[in-house]
Amino acid sequence: MSQSIPAAGSGFALNIKGAVKHFGGARALSGASLAVRHGTVHGLVGQNGAGKSTLIKVLAGLHRLDQGSIEIDGQQHDTLTPHLAEELGIHFIHQDRLLVPTFTVGEALFLGREPRIPGTPFLDRRAMQRQAAEILDRYFGLRLPNSALIADLSTAEKQIVQITRALLHGPKILVFDEPTAALVRREADILFSLIRRLRDEGITIIYISHYLGEIEALCDEVTILRNGIDVATLAVRDTSAAAIASLMIERDIGEMFPKRKLATGAPVLSVSRLSSPGKYQDVSFHVGQGEIVGVTGLLGSGAKELLRALFGLEAPQSGEIVAGGKPVRFKRPSDAVRDHLALVPEDRRGNGIALDLSVTENTTIASLRRFTHLGFLDRAGERAEVDELIERLQVKTSGRDALLRSLSGGNQQKVAIAKWLSRHSEIYLLDEPTVGVDVGSKVEIYRLIGDLAARGAGVLVLSTDLAELVGITDRILVLFRGRVVKEFVSSETSPDAVLAEATGSLEGRRHVS
Amino acid sequence: MSVNALFTSTFDTDSETPPAKRRNWGGQAAAIALRGGSFIAFAAILLYFSITAPFFFTIGNIGNVLGQSAILGVLAIGLTVVIIAGGSNVVTGGIDLSVAANMGLSAAVYATVIQLGYGDGLAVLAAISTGALIGAVNAFAVVIVGVVPLLATLAVMNVVAGLELVLTQNTVVPAATDFLSFLSAAGPFGLPVLAYVLLVFTAIATAVVQFTPMGLRLYATGEFPDAARAAGLPVKGLIAGSFLASGFCAGLAGILSVSYLSGSTTGAGDMLLPVVVTALLGTVFSRRLVPTIIGTLLSALLVGFLVNGFQLLNISSTLVNGVQGLLIILVVSATTLLRRQEN
Repeated sequence: MSQSIPAAGSGFALNIKGAVKHFGGARALSGASLAVRHGTVHGLVGQNGAGKSTLIKVLAGLHRLDQGSIEIDGQQHDTLTPHLAEELGIHFIHQDRLLVPTFTVGEALFLGREPRIPGTPFLDRRAMQRQAAEILDRYFGLRLPNSALIADLSTAEKQIVQITRALLHGPKILVFDEPTAALVRREADILFSLIRRLRDEGITIIYISHYLGEIEALCDEVTILRNGIDVATLAVRDTSAAAIASLMIERDIGEMFPKRKLATGAPVLSVSRLSSPGKYQDVSFHVGQGEIVGVTGLLGSGAKELLRALFGLEAPQSGEIVAGGKPVRFKRPSDAVRDHLALVPEDRRGNGIALDLSVTENTTIASLRRFTHLGFLDRAGERAEVDELIERLQVKTSGRDALLRSLSGGNQQKVAIAKWLSRHSEIYLLDEPTVGVDVGSKVEIYRLIGDLAARGAGVLVLSTDLAELVGITDRILVLFRGRVVKEFVSSETSPDAVLAEATGSLEGRRHVS
Repeated sequence: MSVNALFTSTFDTDSETPPAKRRNWGGQAAAIALRGGSFIAFAAILLYFSITAPFFFTIGNIGNVLGQSAILGVLAIGLTVVIIAGGSNVVTGGIDLSVAANMGLSAAVYATVIQLGYGDGLAVLAAISTGALIGAVNAFAVVIVGVVPLLATLAVMNVVAGLELVLTQNTVVPAATDFLSFLSAAGPFGLPVLAYVLLVFTAIATAVVQFTPMGLRLYATGEFPDAARAAGLPVKGLIAGSFLASGFCAGLAGILSVSYLSGSTTGAGDMLLPVVVTALLGTVFSRRLVPTIIGTLLSALLVGFLVNGFQLLNISSTLVNGVQGLLIILVVSATTLLRRQEN
């Protein structure tokens, strides 16, 4: 580690001012500033799309700012390149661990700066092993067999190897990007004490996380980004997770959610005591005709897996699903589709639509049988149907022959839903329906969802956007560690109340050391 | 508001063993079976032939096989380097289908240079340059233009085969020099010189690929390009280098084949299947199930012994092709299944 480290808190290790960055027409950063003091742990938080990752990529030298200045260690830098960033001692611990799975720990640690047997061009494998063992033991008390391959390590061990790689470079600034996403509780605790120790040794840490409790427990200061601008930088001891959360949220969204009147009919989908060990336990609920039911839960709560089971993507171990009045057992998605279920997945581009097919093809792909006569496609019938759906859903496109690639995210999502309308589906499972969609289109999708229900469909919405969930649903189920811990009537609750249940409220806080 | 906004223990504290670790057990068992199985199969084949074919297990015959495997081995080692640097995904990973045709053209160039009355020195230079140049064309197509190696080298293969026809008019070009006869003669202990060439070449390739930092970087590039990039490695340069290396190997193999066949003959393209089998089969002889130079040598010998045993037993050589095809399918599906399990 560098010898000339200024005392903690004196001056800024990093000072980004007025950062502006456009991608095409979209503004990712609109004047964001980030000032990080020497030898502190600095949190960086914000909702998806707030500009965190853009800011970090600027720091890594991957994006160039349109406007703004970057100061590192008091030194002004107009442009950062990945190489320069590394020379300045800025290193990144990414969410996905960039280590070669078939390498030994030593090989992975020293890749790119391998020790050689003195006087030869050959690798000094013994030195790599010895130094790796030494440094891992000294820093982290981690002892691994010499022959251990990266693929054999646990996620946390891999992360430690990754951090060690950075430490070998004598970093001045270490950036952690969602480091606990794949860690279990105990592993995360080890990571936290590690980060504190690195800070105490004079390394400046930038810590990006969705988990505000982590920010509270770990960081000295926190910068909150919203819509590409820093709305506040606070000393963590003077604030609270709740205060930070409220700064992250857009406040003027009250009118986003169309009002609709409730008229719930008989259940179209009932689930009773559905269980899959390690994922969800004893989940029971029903969705009525014309009803919109919300489901939410943190990563690992089992909400995602539940939705997958309802669409036949994975099999529950026990429990019953009743769809359309009869008990069903979906072995594969086509079974679910046959029984009039529809899934609009979160990963739209990967699973929901085909980017290189036209609006027409995407719309009728699940319902071609309806347009097939004597083995031939009824193109005219197809066109009429697609035109009607484009009209009804107000899909903004140059025409039914336009490729989906040319549509905006929101309009792609409308087509993904249109596909199931054309299939005459009656039960809609929507997974994060507005992810990656701009605010204007969100409102249209909310209307569309309301319209689905008004026409008699049952809708199940999985979302982690709680304002959205409270705004558009009739009831909300909250999953926590695989169980339904609470059911809310949406009109009688608030995002904060749902959040408290989803995060296990006080129970979760106590865990943070 | 995002529900992930507040930290809490979202993880089940009771089941702290990450599932990935448990799944690895199955993968490891399969890997051990595949590796062990391949060694056992190798031993069984040797045993079977030594019992059924009287001359099989003699020094003379083993030397013979080594010598006959030299061309195949050198080509397969070149291909192995490409697979290491490009990754072992059969469709999108590293592959060089042009090696066999490249060898044919390099051999034709060598023989033609001799026919024109020049010496061996110039002929060697011309053959190696031809091989390397074709490697450079592959590197350009893959690294600069961005064509998938499978397609790029398939196209280059056809162009090169065409060039060979143009150069030789589809005839045999004889070549006889002292250097060539030395290569094809017997060396110390009665073993063919080609056998020594193969062993020495393998030793050099092993030293470079298995024991230098560059070798390690080639592996990183092939296995996990993002990790290689994050480590600041010149990923494109390494991939281009691997194609140059395999072009060089093809040039060298061309020289060996001129000496072995006393000239340049048509039909070099028939070598492609054995070369691909050999390089792919090589992975099962390594501890981590990755392509290695020694593994490729072993698999070249396995293929060599198979062909040799068939000959000794008077089994039709047409069967050999079938067996090789089966081996490809077997090895590729086994490693594919294994990789799927690991992910």
